[in-house]
Amino acid sequence: MAAELVAAVGGMTVEQINASQMGMKALGAGIAVGLTGIGTGIAEMGIGSAAVGAVAENKDMFGLALLFTVIPETIVIFGLVVGLLVLFL
Amino acid sequence: MVGVKNISAPYIYVCTRMRVRKAKLLPKEEYMRMLNMSLPEITRFIGETEYKQEIDELATTFKGIDLIEVALSWNLAKEYQKIQEITPGNLKQFTQAYLRRWDIQNVLTILRGKMQGVKAGKIKEILVPAGSLDANVLDRLLPEESIERIIDSLKGHRMYPVLAREYPAAKEIGSFSRMENELYKQFYAEILAEGEGGIKGGNLFLDFIKLDIDIKNIKTLFRLRADTFKEDAREMHIIGGALSATDFANLNNIDDQGEFIDQLKAKIRQKLLLSLLEDMRSEKTIRDVEVRLTRVQLEQMERMSKRNPISIHPILVYLEKKKYEVFNLRALARGKESKLPSEKIAEYLVV
Repeated sequence: MAAELVAAVGGMTVEQINASQMGMKALGAGIAVGLTGIGTGIAEMGIGSAAVGAVAENKDMFGLALLFTVIPETIVIFGLVVGLLVLFL
Repeated sequence: MVGVKNISAPYIYVCTRMRVRKAKLLPKEEYMRMLNMSLPEITRFIGETEYKQEIDELATTFKGIDLIEVALSWNLAKEYQKIQEITPGNLKQFTQAYLRRWDIQNVLTILRGKMQGVKAGKIKEILVPAGSLDANVLDRLLPEESIERIIDSLKGHRMYPVLAREYPAAKEIGSFSRMENELYKQFYAEILAEGEGGIKGGNLFLDFIKLDIDIKNIKTLFRLRADTFKEDAREMHIIGGALSATDFANLNNIDDQGEFIDQLKAKIRQKLLLSLLEDMRSEKTIRDVEVRLTRVQLEQMERMSKRNPISIHPILVYLEKKKYEVFNLRALARGKESKLPSEKIAEYLVV
């Protein structure tokens, strides 16, 4: 009875609050992955175009260029980890 | 975020390609090794570097010094055309504008060759079709019988008004030097206008051109000092650099070397150039002065390209360095052909 009263204070039921919290978590996870994805994209734009330029001139640089290009992937991985933590912890 | 806002991927791509190509240019040690080689050894050595394709293609048609000369010219033209193909947007416009200087060189080579009665095939060997006049246009100019007809066939080209205006006087005195001055003046005025046209990146292009003009004007001043004939200095001055026409004429009238250097230093801002001028207080040969000024110019350009790594600078620095590599190899080959001692040839190299 008391719990129902507290929940009703905001004009919301317990189920509604739980659903809202889940929605906020999903939104947070989405923002974490989305923004880090954009950051990675921006970082890879420069490195990737320089890498393609270098490989076009010297094929031997392919391995190294590929390695440098994927380094900013770590940023989006951090975002993914944060997203997963938000969703499941 | 500044970098993200102002720099696009194609710019980074091209600038990186230019930097890699610059790294592939021959280092000083290779020139020193070549100084101890004979002409066939130099040909073989060049054939193992970036010039392999040209040497292989031309080896059946040409021999000795001709093979090197033609291979170098072909390679330079191919390289410059390739760069014009891969540069994007505004960079392409600036690169093409900068390479228009080769139009002047090619047309003057043809005119001078025709005046001296050199065969068309021989003239063609030293043309570098890197500017707006491509190999097809130059091939059409070469078989023309008279200089008047060559100039007429250039009707509609930006050089035509100057060529038509200056040719009668050149014909009379038998020298194209005044025409050459006028063509270069027109060229610099046009590229300065292009840089000032409000196009993005134009100010960086202007910095580069102004440095080029300054070095050219200083070289002219030193040449005039070494020359025994008194000529009108204003005619040889190129507008747009740190030296105005009046400064230029005044500097030319100073006889004392120390005073000349002091006055010149007061007009110049670049540190590298200032320390070089200080070094030149003692009289030096004109060849030495020119080579040292070119070295300073290349070094200053290199610094500018490092300060603005994603701009027109890395492209222009590569164009210049490639040009001097070809000049060096040509000087080396010609020196060896003429049996000059290695020390003498080394003086002519810009490394």
